[in-house]
Amino acid sequence: MKISKHQLGIVFFILIGVVPFFGALLYAVLYSFGIVGILNEGFTFLFWKSVFHSGDFVKSLGYSMSIALVSVILSVGGALWLAINFTRNFQSRFFSFIIYLPLAIPGIVTAFFTFQLLSKGGLFSRIFHRLGWIESASGFPDLVNDTYAIGIVLAFITLVLPFFLLLFLSVYKNENIEQLSSLAKSLGANSTQVIRRIIVPILLKKTWIVIVLYFIFLLGSYEVPLILGQEHPQMLSVLIIREIKQYDLTKISEGYAIAVMYTIMVSLAALILFLPKKKISHET
Amino acid sequence: MFLEIKNISKSYKKEKVVKNLNFSLDANLTLSVLGKSGCGKTTMLKIIAGLESSEEGEIFLDAKNITREKAEKRNTIYLYQEDLLFPHLNVFENIAFALHIRKLPEKVIITKVKTMLDNLELSGQDHKMPNELSGGQRQRVSFGRAIISNPSLLLLDEPFGSLDSLTRNKMQKLFKNLSRKYNITSIFVTHDLKEALLMGDQIGLMKEGNLKVYDSKEEFINDPGTGVQNEILFWDKLKTGESVEENNSI
Repeated sequence: MKISKHQLGIVFFILIGVVPFFGALLYAVLYSFGIVGILNEGFTFLFWKSVFHSGDFVKSLGYSMSIALVSVILSVGGALWLAINFTRNFQSRFFSFIIYLPLAIPGIVTAFFTFQLLSKGGLFSRIFHRLGWIESASGFPDLVNDTYAIGIVLAFITLVLPFFLLLFLSVYKNENIEQLSSLAKSLGANSTQVIRRIIVPILLKKTWIVIVLYFIFLLGSYEVPLILGQEHPQMLSVLIIREIKQYDLTKISEGYAIAVMYTIMVSLAALILFLPKKKISHET
Repeated sequence: MFLEIKNISKSYKKEKVVKNLNFSLDANLTLSVLGKSGCGKTTMLKIIAGLESSEEGEIFLDAKNITREKAEKRNTIYLYQEDLLFPHLNVFENIAFALHIRKLPEKVIITKVKTMLDNLELSGQDHKMPNELSGGQRQRVSFGRAIISNPSLLLLDEPFGSLDSLTRNKMQKLFKNLSRKYNITSIFVTHDLKEALLMGDQIGLMKEGNLKVYDSKEEFINDPGTGVQNEILFWDKLKTGESVEENNSI
Protein backbone atom coordinates (compact mmCIF):
# COMPACT_ATOMS: atom_id res chain seq x y z
CA MET A 1 0.00 0.00 0.00
CA LYS A 2 1.38 3.40 -1.02
CA ILE A 3 1.28 6.29 1.45
CA SER A 4 0.95 9.73 -0.12
CA LYS A 5 2.97 12.74 1.05
CA HIS A 6 -0.21 14.26 2.46
CA GLN A 7 -0.96 11.14 4.54
CA LEU A 8 2.67 11.01 5.68
CA GLY A 9 2.40 14.64 6.79
CA ILE A 10 -0.71 13.84 8.82
CA VAL A 11 1.03 10.85 10.46
CA PHE A 12 4.00 13.05 11.43
CA PHE A 13 1.69 15.78 12.70
CA ILE A 14 -0.14 13.26 14.89
CA LEU A 15 3.12 11.71 16.14
CA ILE A 16 4.97 14.97 16.80
CA GLY A 17 2.15 17.38 17.59
CA VAL A 18 -0.97 15.59 18.78
CA VAL A 19 0.29 12.52 20.70
CA PRO A 20 2.76 14.37 23.02
CA PHE A 21 0.21 17.14 23.68
CA PHE A 22 -2.63 14.81 24.56
CA GLY A 23 -0.23 12.47 26.39
CA ALA A 24 0.97 15.31 28.62
CA LEU A 25 -2.58 16.58 29.09
CA LEU A 26 -3.81 13.11 30.06
CA TYR A 27 -0.92 12.74 32.53
CA ALA A 28 -1.73 16.15 34.05
CA VAL A 29 -5.45 15.26 34.33
CA LEU A 30 -4.65 11.94 36.02
CA TYR A 31 -2.20 13.66 38.37
CA SER A 32 -4.68 16.40 39.24
CA PHE A 33 -7.29 13.77 40.21
CA GLY A 34 -4.77 11.84 42.30
CA ILE A 35 -4.73 8.80 40.01
CA VAL A 36 -0.97 9.03 39.37
CA GLY A 37 1.75 10.67 41.47
CA ILE A 38 4.19 9.67 44.21
CA LEU A 39 2.08 10.48 47.25
CA ASN A 40 -1.38 10.23 45.65
CA GLU A 41 -3.72 7.52 46.91
CA GLY A 42 -6.38 7.30 44.22
CA PHE A 43 -9.15 9.30 42.59
CA THR A 44 -10.07 12.48 44.45
CA PHE A 45 -11.47 15.98 43.79
CA LEU A 46 -9.43 17.31 46.71
CA PHE A 47 -6.77 19.08 44.66
CA TRP A 48 -9.31 20.76 42.36
CA LYS A 49 -11.35 21.90 45.37
CA SER A 50 -8.20 23.24 47.01
CA VAL A 51 -7.27 25.22 43.89
CA PHE A 52 -10.71 26.85 43.71
CA HIS A 53 -10.85 27.54 47.46
CA SER A 54 -7.44 29.22 47.56
CA GLY A 55 -8.50 31.58 44.76
CA ASP A 56 -4.91 31.66 43.46
CA PHE A 57 -5.90 30.44 40.01
CA VAL A 58 -8.61 33.04 39.48
CA LYS A 59 -6.37 35.86 40.79
CA SER A 60 -3.48 34.69 38.69
CA LEU A 61 -5.68 34.31 35.62
CA GLY A 62 -7.11 37.82 36.03
CA TYR A 63 -3.63 39.24 36.64
CA SER A 64 -2.17 37.43 33.59
CA MET A 65 -5.06 38.46 31.34
CA SER A 66 -4.78 42.11 32.41
CA ILE A 67 -1.02 42.18 31.77
CA ALA A 68 -1.33 40.39 28.41
CA LEU A 69 -4.22 42.63 27.34
CA VAL A 70 -2.50 45.89 28.30
CA SER A 71 0.76 44.75 26.66
CA VAL A 72 -0.97 43.73 23.42
CA ILE A 73 -3.07 46.91 23.26
CA LEU A 74 -0.04 49.16 23.85
CA SER A 75 2.14 47.18 21.42
CA VAL A 76 -0.50 47.12 18.69
CA GLY A 77 -1.34 50.80 19.27
CA GLY A 78 2.33 51.82 19.16
CA ALA A 79 3.06 49.68 16.11
CA LEU A 80 0.00 51.10 14.30
CA TRP A 81 1.09 54.65 15.07
CA LEU A 82 4.62 54.01 13.82
CA ALA A 83 3.46 52.10 10.73
CA ILE A 84 1.01 54.83 9.72
CA ASN A 85 3.23 57.83 10.41
CA PHE A 86 6.64 56.52 9.38
CA THR A 87 5.86 54.01 6.62
CA ARG A 88 8.39 55.47 4.22
CA ASN A 89 11.14 55.85 6.84
CA PHE A 90 11.01 52.13 7.62
CA GLN A 91 11.81 51.32 4.00
CA SER A 92 15.40 52.46 4.61
CA ARG A 93 18.01 49.85 5.60
CA PHE A 94 18.93 51.55 8.85
CA PHE A 95 15.36 51.63 10.21
CA SER A 96 14.68 48.05 9.02
CA PHE A 97 17.74 46.97 11.02
CA ILE A 98 16.46 48.80 14.08
CA ILE A 99 13.12 46.97 13.91
CA TYR A 100 14.63 43.55 13.28
CA LEU A 101 17.21 43.84 16.07
CA PRO A 102 14.84 43.42 19.07
CA LEU A 103 13.38 40.29 17.44
CA ALA A 104 16.76 38.60 17.79
CA ILE A 105 16.91 39.20 21.55
CA PRO A 106 15.42 36.38 23.69
CA GLY A 107 12.75 37.15 26.28
CA ILE A 108 15.02 36.28 29.19
CA VAL A 109 17.66 38.78 28.01
CA THR A 110 15.02 41.49 27.59
CA ALA A 111 13.82 40.75 31.13
CA PHE A 112 17.37 41.08 32.51
CA PHE A 113 17.96 44.31 30.58
CA THR A 114 14.69 45.71 31.90
CA PHE A 115 15.69 44.72 35.43
CA GLN A 116 19.13 46.30 35.05
CA LEU A 117 17.60 49.52 33.74
CA LEU A 118 14.51 49.93 35.91
CA SER A 119 15.19 48.33 39.29
CA LYS A 120 15.92 50.49 42.35
CA GLY A 121 19.61 49.69 41.99
CA GLY A 122 19.51 49.94 38.18
CA LEU A 123 20.92 52.36 35.65
CA PHE A 124 18.07 54.87 35.60
CA SER A 125 17.90 54.95 39.39
CA ARG A 126 21.65 55.76 39.48
CA ILE A 127 21.30 58.46 36.81
CA PHE A 128 18.37 60.01 38.67
CA HIS A 129 20.38 59.92 41.90
CA ARG A 130 23.43 61.48 40.21
CA LEU A 131 21.22 64.24 38.78
CA GLY A 132 19.87 64.87 42.25
CA TRP A 133 16.28 64.03 41.33
CA ILE A 134 16.08 61.34 44.07
CA GLU A 135 17.85 61.27 47.43
CA SER A 136 18.49 57.53 47.57
CA ALA A 137 17.80 54.38 45.53
CA SER A 138 14.63 53.76 47.54
CA GLY A 139 13.23 57.03 46.17
CA PHE A 140 13.14 55.54 42.66
CA PRO A 141 9.62 54.35 41.73
CA ASP A 142 8.83 50.62 41.76
CA LEU A 143 9.07 49.66 38.09
CA VAL A 144 10.12 46.02 38.48
CA ASN A 145 8.63 43.32 40.73
CA ASP A 146 5.86 45.89 41.25
CA THR A 147 2.11 45.60 41.87
CA TYR A 148 1.12 47.08 38.51
CA ALA A 149 3.54 44.89 36.53
CA ILE A 150 5.04 47.94 34.79
CA GLY A 151 8.35 46.14 34.22
CA ILE A 152 6.62 43.10 32.70
CA VAL A 153 4.47 45.26 30.42
CA LEU A 154 7.51 47.28 29.26
CA ALA A 155 9.49 44.11 28.57
CA PHE A 156 6.55 42.61 26.64
CA ILE A 157 6.19 45.80 24.59
CA THR A 158 9.91 45.73 23.76
CA LEU A 159 9.55 42.13 22.60
CA VAL A 160 6.24 42.35 20.76
CA LEU A 161 5.99 45.87 19.27
CA PRO A 162 8.73 45.37 16.64
CA PHE A 163 7.03 42.19 15.47
CA PHE A 164 3.67 43.96 15.05
CA LEU A 165 5.40 46.86 13.32
CA LEU A 166 6.94 44.51 10.76
CA LEU A 167 3.61 42.76 10.33
CA PHE A 168 1.72 46.03 9.77
CA LEU A 169 4.36 47.36 7.36
CA SER A 170 4.12 44.17 5.36
CA VAL A 171 0.29 44.30 5.24
CA TYR A 172 0.50 48.03 4.39
CA LYS A 173 2.53 47.17 1.33
CA ASN A 174 0.72 44.00 0.27
CA GLU A 175 -2.76 45.47 0.64
CA ASN A 176 -1.85 48.54 -1.40
CA ILE A 177 -2.88 50.79 1.46
CA GLU A 178 -1.07 53.83 0.06
CA GLN A 179 -3.20 53.74 -3.10
CA LEU A 180 -6.35 52.93 -1.14
CA SER A 181 -5.68 55.98 1.04
CA SER A 182 -5.31 58.21 -2.02
CA LEU A 183 -8.51 56.75 -3.39
CA ALA A 184 -10.35 57.41 -0.13
CA LYS A 185 -9.10 61.01 -0.19
CA SER A 186 -10.27 61.32 -3.76
CA LEU A 187 -13.70 60.13 -2.57
CA GLY A 188 -13.78 62.93 -0.02
CA ALA A 189 -12.23 61.44 3.13
CA ASN A 190 -9.93 63.64 5.17
CA SER A 191 -6.70 62.34 6.75
CA THR A 192 -8.39 61.29 10.01
CA GLN A 193 -11.18 59.49 8.15
CA VAL A 194 -8.61 57.72 5.97
CA ILE A 195 -6.84 56.43 9.08
CA ARG A 196 -10.05 55.56 10.93
CA ARG A 197 -12.03 54.06 8.05
CA ILE A 198 -9.35 52.59 5.80
CA ILE A 199 -5.86 52.11 7.22
CA VAL A 200 -6.60 50.88 10.76
CA PRO A 201 -9.54 48.58 9.83
CA ILE A 202 -7.57 46.94 7.01
CA LEU A 203 -4.47 46.43 9.15
CA LEU A 204 -6.46 45.03 12.07
CA LYS A 205 -8.72 42.87 9.92
CA LYS A 206 -5.73 41.25 8.22
CA THR A 207 -3.81 40.67 11.46
CA TRP A 208 -6.38 40.12 14.22
CA ILE A 209 -5.73 36.37 14.45
CA VAL A 210 -2.02 37.02 15.01
CA ILE A 211 -2.90 39.65 17.61
CA VAL A 212 -5.11 37.17 19.50
CA LEU A 213 -2.42 34.48 19.25
CA TYR A 214 0.11 36.92 20.70
CA PHE A 215 -2.29 37.63 23.55
CA ILE A 216 -2.43 33.88 24.27
CA PHE A 217 1.36 33.67 23.96
CA LEU A 218 1.86 36.50 26.49
CA LEU A 219 -0.75 34.95 28.78
CA GLY A 220 1.47 31.89 29.09
CA SER A 221 4.80 33.72 29.12
CA TYR A 222 7.27 32.47 31.76
CA GLU A 223 10.77 34.05 31.85
CA VAL A 224 9.74 37.71 31.82
CA PRO A 225 7.20 37.51 34.70
CA LEU A 226 9.56 35.20 36.61
CA ILE A 227 12.27 37.88 36.64
CA LEU A 228 10.17 41.04 36.68
CA GLY A 229 6.97 39.91 38.43
CA GLN A 230 5.92 40.23 42.07
CA GLU A 231 5.44 37.45 44.63
CA HIS A 232 1.67 37.49 44.66
CA PRO A 233 -0.33 37.22 42.47
CA GLN A 234 1.90 35.73 39.83
CA MET A 235 1.33 35.16 36.16
CA LEU A 236 -0.13 31.73 35.33
CA SER A 237 3.00 29.95 34.07
CA VAL A 238 5.03 31.11 37.06
CA LEU A 239 2.26 29.97 39.42
CA ILE A 240 2.01 26.54 37.72
CA ILE A 241 5.77 25.92 37.83
CA ARG A 242 5.92 27.14 41.45
CA GLU A 243 3.21 24.64 42.44
CA ILE A 244 4.71 21.74 40.49
CA LYS A 245 8.28 22.35 41.64
CA GLN A 246 7.65 23.16 45.29
CA TYR A 247 9.02 21.24 48.25
CA ASP A 248 5.57 20.07 49.44
CA LEU A 249 4.94 17.12 47.08
CA THR A 250 1.19 17.10 47.82
CA LYS A 251 0.97 20.51 46.08
CA ILE A 252 2.16 19.10 42.76
CA SER A 253 -1.34 17.84 41.93
CA GLU A 254 -2.73 21.34 42.46
CA GLY A 255 -0.17 22.67 40.00
CA TYR A 256 -1.36 20.12 37.46
CA ALA A 257 -5.00 21.07 38.09
CA ILE A 258 -4.15 24.70 37.26
CA ALA A 259 -2.18 23.60 34.19
CA VAL A 260 -5.16 21.52 32.97
CA MET A 261 -7.57 24.45 33.38
CA TYR A 262 -5.20 26.80 31.58
CA THR A 263 -4.66 24.31 28.73
CA ILE A 264 -8.41 23.76 28.27
CA MET A 265 -9.03 27.52 28.24
CA VAL A 266 -6.35 28.22 25.66
CA SER A 267 -7.42 25.25 23.51
CA LEU A 268 -11.02 26.47 23.52
CA ALA A 269 -9.89 29.99 22.58
CA ALA A 270 -7.81 28.55 19.71
CA LEU A 271 -10.75 26.43 18.55
CA ILE A 272 -13.10 29.43 18.51
CA LEU A 273 -10.44 31.44 16.70
CA PHE A 274 -9.96 28.97 13.87
CA LEU A 275 -13.52 27.71 13.46
CA PRO A 276 -15.08 28.85 10.15
CA LYS A 277 -17.21 31.96 10.65
CA LYS A 278 -20.70 32.62 9.28
CA LYS A 279 -21.01 35.57 6.91
CA ILE A 280 -23.21 38.50 7.83
CA SER A 281 -25.09 39.92 4.87
CA HIS A 282 -26.03 43.59 4.54
CA GLU A 283 -29.73 44.24 4.01
CA THR A 284 -30.61 46.78 1.38
CA MET B 1 -15.72 76.07 -19.88
CA PHE B 2 -16.31 73.69 -16.98
CA LEU B 3 -12.72 72.50 -16.67
CA GLU B 4 -9.78 74.69 -17.62
CA ILE B 5 -6.17 73.59 -17.37
CA LYS B 6 -3.61 76.35 -17.79
CA ASN B 7 0.13 75.85 -18.24
CA ILE B 8 0.45 72.81 -15.95
CA SER B 9 3.94 71.29 -15.80
CA LYS B 10 5.53 68.60 -13.65
CA SER B 11 9.01 67.10 -13.40
CA TYR B 12 10.39 64.07 -11.60
CA LYS B 13 14.02 64.70 -10.71
CA LYS B 14 15.23 66.40 -13.89
CA GLU B 15 12.80 64.82 -16.33
CA LYS B 16 9.76 66.85 -17.30
CA VAL B 17 6.86 64.39 -17.50
CA VAL B 18 4.05 66.88 -18.11
CA LYS B 19 4.86 69.89 -20.28
CA ASN B 20 2.85 73.07 -20.34
CA LEU B 21 -0.56 71.43 -20.35
CA ASN B 22 -3.39 73.60 -21.73
CA PHE B 23 -6.89 72.42 -22.49
CA SER B 24 -10.51 72.89 -21.49
CA LEU B 25 -13.59 70.71 -21.30
CA ASP B 26 -17.31 71.48 -21.29
CA ALA B 27 -19.61 70.06 -18.62
CA ASN B 28 -21.13 66.59 -19.15
CA LEU B 29 -18.59 65.64 -21.81
CA THR B 30 -15.84 63.04 -21.86
CA LEU B 31 -12.36 63.81 -23.08
CA SER B 32 -10.47 60.70 -24.19
CA VAL B 33 -6.73 60.95 -23.86
CA LEU B 34 -4.75 58.49 -25.93
CA GLY B 35 -1.11 57.82 -25.19
CA LYS B 36 1.58 55.20 -24.69
CA SER B 37 2.71 54.02 -21.27
CA GLY B 38 4.97 56.56 -19.58
CA CYS B 39 3.82 59.54 -21.63
CA GLY B 40 2.55 61.42 -18.57
CA LYS B 41 -1.17 60.53 -18.70
CA THR B 42 -1.37 59.24 -15.12
CA THR B 43 0.62 62.17 -13.74
CA MET B 44 -1.71 64.59 -15.54
CA LEU B 45 -4.79 62.93 -14.00
CA LYS B 46 -3.23 62.84 -10.52
CA ILE B 47 -2.37 66.54 -10.73
CA ILE B 48 -5.96 67.37 -11.67
CA ALA B 49 -7.21 65.10 -8.83
CA GLY B 50 -4.90 66.81 -6.32
CA LEU B 51 -2.96 63.62 -5.62
CA GLU B 52 0.20 65.14 -7.13
CA SER B 53 1.26 68.76 -7.13
CA SER B 54 2.26 70.70 -10.23
CA GLU B 55 5.25 73.01 -10.39
CA GLU B 56 3.39 75.66 -12.27
CA GLY B 57 0.02 76.41 -13.82
CA GLU B 58 -3.57 76.57 -12.64
CA ILE B 59 -6.65 74.37 -12.65
CA PHE B 60 -10.14 75.84 -12.77
CA LEU B 61 -13.19 73.68 -12.13
CA ASP B 62 -16.59 75.27 -12.59
CA ALA B 63 -14.87 78.71 -12.59
CA LYS B 64 -13.19 78.02 -9.24
CA ASN B 65 -9.42 77.85 -8.93
CA ILE B 66 -8.71 74.47 -7.32
CA THR B 67 -4.95 74.39 -7.92
CA ARG B 68 -4.07 74.54 -4.23
CA GLU B 69 -7.14 72.66 -2.91
CA LYS B 70 -6.59 69.33 -1.16
CA ALA B 71 -7.72 66.19 -3.03
CA GLU B 72 -10.68 65.61 -0.71
CA LYS B 73 -11.98 69.16 -1.28
CA ARG B 74 -11.93 69.10 -5.09
CA ASN B 75 -14.92 66.80 -5.69
CA THR B 76 -12.93 65.14 -8.45
CA ILE B 77 -12.54 61.39 -8.31
CA TYR B 78 -9.54 59.55 -9.69
CA LEU B 79 -10.18 55.95 -10.68
CA TYR B 80 -7.07 53.80 -10.63
CA GLN B 81 -5.92 51.43 -13.37
CA GLU B 82 -6.53 48.53 -11.00
CA ASP B 83 -10.06 47.92 -9.80
CA LEU B 84 -9.14 49.08 -6.30
CA LEU B 85 -11.87 48.19 -3.84
CA PHE B 86 -11.57 48.57 -0.09
CA PRO B 87 -10.82 44.94 0.88
CA HIS B 88 -12.43 45.15 4.33
CA LEU B 89 -15.77 46.44 3.01
CA ASN B 90 -18.42 44.51 1.08
CA VAL B 91 -19.98 45.71 -2.19
CA PHE B 92 -22.65 47.78 -0.41
CA GLU B 93 -20.18 49.45 1.93
CA ASN B 94 -17.72 50.12 -0.89
CA ILE B 95 -20.35 51.90 -2.98
CA ALA B 96 -21.68 53.75 0.06
CA PHE B 97 -18.21 54.90 1.16
CA ALA B 98 -18.38 58.49 -0.12
CA LEU B 99 -21.95 58.85 1.17
CA HIS B 100 -20.92 57.75 4.66
CA ILE B 101 -18.04 60.23 4.54
CA ARG B 102 -20.54 62.97 3.70
CA LYS B 103 -22.67 61.77 6.66
CA LEU B 104 -25.89 61.36 4.67
CA PRO B 105 -28.85 59.80 6.52
CA GLU B 106 -28.75 55.99 6.47
CA LYS B 107 -32.11 55.75 4.65
CA VAL B 108 -30.88 57.98 1.83
CA ILE B 109 -27.69 55.95 1.58
CA ILE B 110 -29.60 52.67 1.32
CA THR B 111 -31.91 54.04 -1.39
CA LYS B 112 -29.06 55.53 -3.42
CA VAL B 113 -26.90 52.42 -3.18
CA LYS B 114 -29.80 50.16 -4.12
CA THR B 115 -30.51 52.27 -7.22
CA MET B 116 -26.83 52.24 -8.12
CA LEU B 117 -26.64 48.46 -7.68
CA ASP B 118 -29.57 48.14 -10.12
CA ASN B 119 -27.84 50.43 -12.61
CA LEU B 120 -24.65 48.41 -12.32
CA GLU B 121 -26.58 45.14 -12.72
CA LEU B 122 -25.25 44.05 -9.35
CA SER B 123 -28.51 43.62 -7.44
CA GLY B 124 -28.24 40.85 -4.86
CA GLN B 125 -24.43 41.08 -4.78
CA ASP B 126 -24.36 43.74 -2.06
CA HIS B 127 -23.07 41.45 0.69
CA LYS B 128 -20.17 40.03 -1.32
CA MET B 129 -16.61 40.90 -0.41
CA PRO B 130 -14.25 42.20 -3.15
CA ASN B 131 -12.37 38.89 -3.35
CA GLU B 132 -15.63 37.14 -4.27
CA LEU B 133 -16.16 39.27 -7.39
CA SER B 134 -14.97 38.90 -10.99
CA GLY B 135 -12.77 41.56 -12.61
CA GLY B 136 -15.75 43.11 -14.41
CA GLN B 137 -17.87 43.16 -11.26
CA ARG B 138 -15.07 44.80 -9.30
CA GLN B 139 -14.71 47.47 -11.96
CA ARG B 140 -18.48 48.10 -11.89
CA VAL B 141 -18.41 48.51 -8.11
CA SER B 142 -15.48 50.87 -8.53
CA PHE B 143 -17.51 52.96 -11.02
CA GLY B 144 -20.59 52.94 -8.86
CA ARG B 145 -18.62 54.07 -5.82
CA ALA B 146 -17.18 56.98 -7.82
CA ILE B 147 -20.37 58.06 -9.56
CA ILE B 148 -22.74 57.81 -6.57
CA SER B 149 -21.10 60.76 -4.86
CA ASN B 150 -21.92 62.91 -7.89
CA PRO B 151 -18.37 64.16 -8.54
CA SER B 152 -17.78 67.32 -10.53
CA LEU B 153 -15.13 65.52 -12.53
CA LEU B 154 -14.32 61.85 -12.98
CA LEU B 155 -10.74 60.93 -13.92
CA LEU B 156 -10.38 57.44 -15.32
CA ASP B 157 -6.91 55.98 -15.70
CA GLU B 158 -7.11 53.08 -18.17
CA PRO B 159 -9.96 51.58 -16.17
CA PHE B 160 -10.57 48.64 -18.49
CA GLY B 161 -6.93 47.76 -19.13
CA SER B 162 -7.05 44.49 -17.22
CA LEU B 163 -10.36 43.21 -18.62
CA ASP B 164 -10.93 40.72 -21.43
CA SER B 165 -12.34 42.15 -24.67
CA LEU B 166 -15.94 41.02 -24.05
CA THR B 167 -16.10 42.43 -20.53
CA ARG B 168 -14.32 45.53 -21.78
CA ASN B 169 -17.04 46.14 -24.42
CA LYS B 170 -19.75 45.70 -21.77
CA MET B 171 -18.00 48.10 -19.42
CA GLN B 172 -17.57 50.70 -22.16
CA LYS B 173 -21.32 50.62 -22.83
CA LEU B 174 -22.11 50.74 -19.13
CA PHE B 175 -19.84 53.75 -18.66
CA LYS B 176 -21.46 55.59 -21.59
CA ASN B 177 -24.93 54.92 -20.14
CA LEU B 178 -23.98 55.99 -16.64
CA SER B 179 -22.22 59.10 -17.95
CA ARG B 180 -25.41 60.18 -19.71
CA LYS B 181 -27.67 59.23 -16.81
CA TYR B 182 -25.64 61.03 -14.14
CA ASN B 183 -24.36 63.89 -16.36
CA ILE B 184 -20.75 63.02 -15.72
CA THR B 185 -17.85 65.17 -16.88
CA SER B 186 -14.80 62.99 -17.31
CA ILE B 187 -11.31 62.52 -18.65
CA PHE B 188 -10.80 58.99 -19.90
CA VAL B 189 -7.20 57.93 -20.35
CA THR B 190 -6.45 54.90 -22.49
CA HIS B 191 -3.76 53.46 -24.72
CA ASP B 192 -6.37 51.74 -26.88
CA LEU B 193 -7.16 53.66 -30.06
CA LYS B 194 -10.62 52.16 -30.54
CA GLU B 195 -11.54 52.79 -26.93
CA ALA B 196 -10.42 56.41 -27.18
CA LEU B 197 -12.65 56.94 -30.21
CA LEU B 198 -15.60 55.16 -28.61
CA MET B 199 -15.51 56.79 -25.21
CA GLY B 200 -14.63 60.40 -25.94
CA ASP B 201 -16.78 63.31 -27.01
CA GLN B 202 -13.44 65.03 -27.51
CA ILE B 203 -10.11 63.32 -28.12
CA GLY B 204 -6.57 64.24 -27.15
CA LEU B 205 -3.23 62.65 -27.90
CA MET B 206 -0.45 62.71 -25.33
CA LYS B 207 3.17 62.27 -26.38
CA GLU B 208 6.17 62.78 -24.10
CA GLY B 209 4.28 65.01 -21.70
CA ASN B 210 2.59 67.14 -24.37
CA LEU B 211 -1.16 66.93 -24.88
CA LYS B 212 -2.85 67.89 -28.10
CA VAL B 213 -6.64 68.09 -27.94
CA TYR B 214 -8.34 67.87 -31.32
CA ASP B 215 -11.23 70.10 -32.33
CA SER B 216 -13.11 67.19 -33.83
CA LYS B 217 -12.91 63.43 -34.21
CA GLU B 218 -12.33 63.91 -37.96
CA GLU B 219 -9.22 65.97 -37.27
CA PHE B 220 -7.98 63.24 -34.92
CA ILE B 221 -8.68 60.52 -37.49
CA ASN B 222 -6.93 62.43 -40.29
CA ASP B 223 -3.80 63.22 -38.24
CA PRO B 224 -1.16 60.65 -39.26
CA GLY B 225 0.43 60.90 -35.79
CA THR B 226 -2.57 59.36 -34.05
CA GLY B 227 -2.20 55.99 -35.75
CA VAL B 228 -5.79 55.86 -37.01
CA GLN B 229 -4.72 55.92 -40.65
CA ASN B 230 -2.27 53.09 -39.99
CA GLU B 231 -5.05 51.13 -38.35
CA ILE B 232 -7.40 51.67 -41.32
CA LEU B 233 -4.62 50.66 -43.67
CA PHE B 234 -4.03 47.52 -41.63
CA TRP B 235 -7.64 46.37 -41.94
CA ASP B 236 -7.79 47.33 -45.63
CA LYS B 237 -4.66 45.30 -46.32
CA LEU B 238 -6.05 42.40 -44.33
CA LYS B 239 -9.20 42.49 -46.45
CA THR B 240 -7.27 42.52 -49.71
CA GLY B 241 -4.86 39.85 -48.53
CA GLU B 242 -1.70 42.04 -48.58
CA SER B 243 1.14 41.68 -46.05
CA VAL B 244 0.31 43.44 -42.75
CA GLU B 245 3.64 42.97 -40.95
CA GLU B 246 4.87 46.55 -41.31
CA ASN B 247 1.75 48.06 -39.74
CA ASN B 248 2.20 50.11 -36.59
CA SER B 249 -0.17 52.10 -34.49
CA ILE B 250 0.92 55.21 -32.51
